[in-house]
Amino acid sequence: MSRTALLSVLAALVGFVLLWQLVVIVSGFPPFILPPPGSVASRWVSAWAAGTIQPHLGATLVEVALGFSVGAGSALVVGYALARSAVVERLLSPYLVAAQATPILALAPLIALWFGPGLLGKVLICALIVFFPVAVATMVGISSVDARLLELGRSLRATRQQVLTTLEIPAALPSILGGMRVGVTLAVVGAIVGEWAGAEKGLGVLINLARGSLFDIPLMFAALLTIALVGIVLYLVVVLVERRLVGAR
Amino acid sequence: MTTPGAIRARQVELGFPLRGGGRLPVLDGLDLAIDGGEIVALIGPNGSGKSTLLRVVAGLLTPDSGTVTLDDQPITGPDPRIGLVFQEPRLLPWRSAADNITYPMELVGWPAARRIERLDALTELVALDPSVLGNRPSELSGGQAQRVALARALALEPGVLLLDEPFSALDALSRERFDLELLALWERASPTVVLVTHNIAEAILVADRVVVLSPRPGRVVAELPVELPRPRSIADLDAAVVTSTSRAIRRHLGEEAAA
Repeated sequence: MSRTALLSVLAALVGFVLLWQLVVIVSGFPPFILPPPGSVASRWVSAWAAGTIQPHLGATLVEVALGFSVGAGSALVVGYALARSAVVERLLSPYLVAAQATPILALAPLIALWFGPGLLGKVLICALIVFFPVAVATMVGISSVDARLLELGRSLRATRQQVLTTLEIPAALPSILGGMRVGVTLAVVGAIVGEWAGAEKGLGVLINLARGSLFDIPLMFAALLTIALVGIVLYLVVVLVERRLVGAR
Repeated sequence: MTTPGAIRARQVELGFPLRGGGRLPVLDGLDLAIDGGEIVALIGPNGSGKSTLLRVVAGLLTPDSGTVTLDDQPITGPDPRIGLVFQEPRLLPWRSAADNITYPMELVGWPAARRIERLDALTELVALDPSVLGNRPSELSGGQAQRVALARALALEPGVLLLDEPFSALDALSRERFDLELLALWERASPTVVLVTHNIAEAILVADRVVVLSPRPGRVVAELPVELPRPRSIADLDAAVVTSTSRAIRRHLGEEAAA
């Protein structure tokens, strides 16, 4: 990241914190409604020092990693099939759109009921929410592969597998990774929603605990801050992968 | 013994399906014989089926009827003995120039050492500046990109080189230089060359024979030998025979367009 880019990110962060502080001062909300940024920061540090956040963060990260892998992995396969087969596209499209149109918040309790409060249900919720953007991005990416490149592959007698690995996937990669950028942040949302539907550990559970029995609003904000940071870090990881794989074109 | 790379097209007919039904005839009973090691230029108005004929010879299109053979064997699909250069370089943007050139070798499973050896030879053969081998296609000039495409087509040492207006996007001077380099390349390897072009001067400078196609549906209306000695140079374009051949080509093109 260039010096200018780093400075602008820092400036935005400082601006956000100042705005937050300003809202606290102007609104006069009590700390249990809107704690000032300073008390959230100190609670965040003390929660880390006391080991309160780590186990919940670990549980959420496992759900996100597994859910994203399952969701994105299956989306790649289905997205490719949607792009290359009109029959598959006709058969699956209505169900995919219907699944996407149904709010994950409404589906989560049902999945928790069917699969229990364990890891499997959270992974499924994560995978469901990740699936659609990655599948659509893959479908669009593969459909948009330049037909002239495919003709080049044919003229060089490339096998079906060689066409897939040396032409279609590299050509569709910018689109696929664009879908994964969206998918990876949604995976965090999926994990939190899954934890709300029933779990023993996770940042979603920590938020519920902080808001409910502990009534520790700064801790709730500290958990929210951690979730936001997880989302940002995962997003940046995908961006870095994207830059490495397609940035130099 | 005949030189390998002989192409024969007999009564080739081909049409493309129309959206509203029916077929658009593109090639109409086309007959053409090209000897091994010969350079033939295909010239004709837009839509005369020049590029379509090239794709039939390359095995990318199957004729509705008729046959096309290479060394008396029917062409039923893309063949490693045939190299094809498209109108645009058609390079893979995510690969370096070197990796684009070695792409056909990777597909057929050549080991790395053999690929590197062949890459060196091809870089010299097409006069590509070795310093650009690591560049991506977006970092190459039009001429460099077309040299990479030519090197890629020659990668597997084909006996037949099909060129679909490969120099049409280049400026006039670069185009003349490429034509001469193509001739120099032919002097070294003597492949059969089929060049599709709209440029009469280019056709005469490069080819042993100029084949004139009719407007759609394409068929051969004239085959005009070019009586210029080899090796040729740009100065040969001032020879009287060029003027007479050029006039003959124009006459055939004009007659067919008026018909």
